[in-house]
Amino acid sequence: MSEADRTSEAIAARVKALESMLIEQGLLTTEMIDRYVDIYENEVGPQLGAKAVAKAWADPEFKERLLEDGTAACAELGIGGGQGEHMVVLEDTDEVHHAIVCTLCSCYPWPVLGLPPNWYKEPQYRSRMVRAPRQVLAEDFGYEIPETREIRVWDSSSEIRYWVLPQRPPGTEGWSEEQLAGLVTRDSMIGVAPIEAVS
Amino acid sequence: MTTSAVGSESTAGERRSVDELIGDLPGRSNDLAFDEPWELRAFALVVAAHEAGGYAWAEFQQELIASIREWEESADDTDASWSYYQHWVRALESVLAGRGAVDRNAVDRRTCDVLATPKNRNHHEPHYEPIAVDPARTTSIPEAP
Repeated sequence: MSEADRTSEAIAARVKALESMLIEQGLLTTEMIDRYVDIYENEVGPQLGAKAVAKAWADPEFKERLLEDGTAACAELGIGGGQGEHMVVLEDTDEVHHAIVCTLCSCYPWPVLGLPPNWYKEPQYRSRMVRAPRQVLAEDFGYEIPETREIRVWDSSSEIRYWVLPQRPPGTEGWSEEQLAGLVTRDSMIGVAPIEAVS
Repeated sequence: MTTSAVGSESTAGERRSVDELIGDLPGRSNDLAFDEPWELRAFALVVAAHEAGGYAWAEFQQELIASIREWEESADDTDASWSYYQHWVRALESVLAGRGAVDRNAVDRRTCDVLATPKNRNHHEPHYEPIAVDPARTTSIPEAP
């Protein structure tokens, strides 16, 4: 194997090349591969983003740094690389809720959120979220945003990748960062699901 | 749209059968974590191609063992070039080449094509403002008398 093949980009391209050749030969379809990806997709790093969110909830100074410069603050936690560069973190408040899409491809901060779910890559999600975000959140995700709250939808590109800092749920006072991280889901950082309230 | 098309019960069953398949492969860590998306893609590709009848699992296993052994013989413990899933890719190529299904040179050429195509063509501009805003209704709807 040549030196160039050792870089991550080259090996990713090689996997893509093999995949396309086997599909052309009729051995496989993209859907067959996606099936196995779906089963294991949660094993590529979403817990890193949960760690950053939990720290921001517990440590106001870290939160300030995270909102100021998401890339640098995540690097403090050892999170970065891959498609995580130029991350902008959007803070949810009582007045404003944020959600992310990528309207042209599927740009996505995977070091933080793990692999994008397959629905994120579907054109229907992207185009409908831009046209009617309140309706899509309610109907497709069961996430009702009160009428008194503004919704902002952000378009990730390869230059800026956005992700959402959800609101800390009530009833979690005094929780450790590990406990808090357990509440944070991938969908809440995309902005399509709330953090489940603690009973 | 929110849930995967695969039902959770059959997913768990499928997961078990894949876990069994990979259970006695050499050199893998127990928790099967992937550091980068291509690793999961390579993993899924190898499993799917086997399930589709491309090769017997034992063939892949042998090539994986051979690839890892070759690396071990040429590298020492401090060598940082270890990448488990890179061996998966090599082993997959060896199996396919051995069966005459995919030629290594053709893979080289196709890889160059992939690298020459920008990943997110036309999507390199940063977007500094929200692409859509659904404003809050500032006046609350009056309740029906």
